[in-house]
Amino acid sequence: MTTTSPDDEIRAALDDLLPRLRRFARVITRNVADADDLVQVAVEKALARAAQWRPGSRLDSWMFGIMKNAWIDEIRARRRRERVHAPEEAGANVGDASAAARDIALSVQAAVARLPEEQRMAIALVLVEGLSYKDAAETLGIPIGTLTSRLARGRTALQALLGDDGGSS
Amino acid sequence: MKFSDEMLMAYADGELDLVTRAEIESAMAADPELARAVERHRALAARLRAGYDGVLAEPVPERLAALVARPAAVPVADLAAKRAERPGARGRARLPQWAALAASVIVGVVVGVLLTRSPRPPYEDAGGALVARGALDAALSDQLAATSGESGVAIGITFRDRDGRFCRTFYMHRNAPVAGLACRGTQRWAIEVLAAAPPLQGELRPATAMPLPVLHVVDARMAGEPLDAAAEAAARNAGWRNPRSMAE
Repeated sequence: MTTTSPDDEIRAALDDLLPRLRRFARVITRNVADADDLVQVAVEKALARAAQWRPGSRLDSWMFGIMKNAWIDEIRARRRRERVHAPEEAGANVGDASAAARDIALSVQAAVARLPEEQRMAIALVLVEGLSYKDAAETLGIPIGTLTSRLARGRTALQALLGDDGGSS
Repeated sequence: MKFSDEMLMAYADGELDLVTRAEIESAMAADPELARAVERHRALAARLRAGYDGVLAEPVPERLAALVARPAAVPVADLAAKRAERPGARGRARLPQWAALAASVIVGVVVGVLLTRSPRPPYEDAGGALVARGALDAALSDQLAATSGESGVAIGITFRDRDGRFCRTFYMHRNAPVAGLACRGTQRWAIEVLAAAPPLQGELRPATAMPLPVLHVVDARMAGEPLDAAAEAAARNAGWRNPRSMAE
């Protein structure tokens, strides 16, 4: 076939999106291995139901929604198996950043890791991924009011963990 | 005017309408504490982004890039994950294996080619529908998944489709192995999908060798869970009758 199929289109878009999917996964799973596993599962799911995605609509929030659901399923499965990863694994890998940047990344990631799941997802979508409140609420399947209150509570907790000035710790 | 912290947060995030924004800005001009609160929200947001931006610069792992790049590498993650987390279903152990294996399957042969390539195909045209005959018909009707038998046909999973019909996946060992899904009509097994399958290797079970097009159709048709061994045997012993049409 010579025309670009929807499948090709979604693959190309996903390829561009992979770094952000990995970042979002890193926030919500709190460790590198789980994060990449989650991206893999979500991409597989997305490709299997590529027909549900309308080309032209936002692929990022669609993918974040798939990842959120997959992660919640995973957490439930792990709770059943009684081996939820401890938050201490947070920040196990922060790449090749400079020492100062690495320190910031480590402290931020460790603090985010301590947030409850739902606050962490709100923070991940709005503050890390830059979604609007509306898009974030839709992605999580919650009303905007719920989103903002989770976001506010998450922020308050992070301020407390990271130092109130919000600047250097 | 008093503003809640949530409202200041929304202001810092650029989520407020023009009017409210203007109100907050004039309040901030008069109240340094308010301005500091907004600044804290902004600083925290910047810090969070900085904390994770390093991930964007990391090289994407090969396995993820490959997943997006290769059209043939799409396991039916839905199905696999869904079944895998439920205890008890016979599909539990198998479907994830399928999914994993499907990643290495290259599919490309269509029914017409299969029909012409094989001298005596175990299926035939019956008024526009493809139905099983010979060894395939016998295996679908009599064979249980646990017993691979000498028929050259292996049965994968058995399930009910949305119309209540019994459907079974099968794999045929031949020079050009094929796999597919057949659903029981009133008298015969209609072939719903047929695709070239990878040759069996070593200890792999036939059920793991389902090609992607078959998995897709299975995923679309299956209502509920695959039958367990007891239900499969019971359905066979009852002649694969669709309970819904029996009620007529």
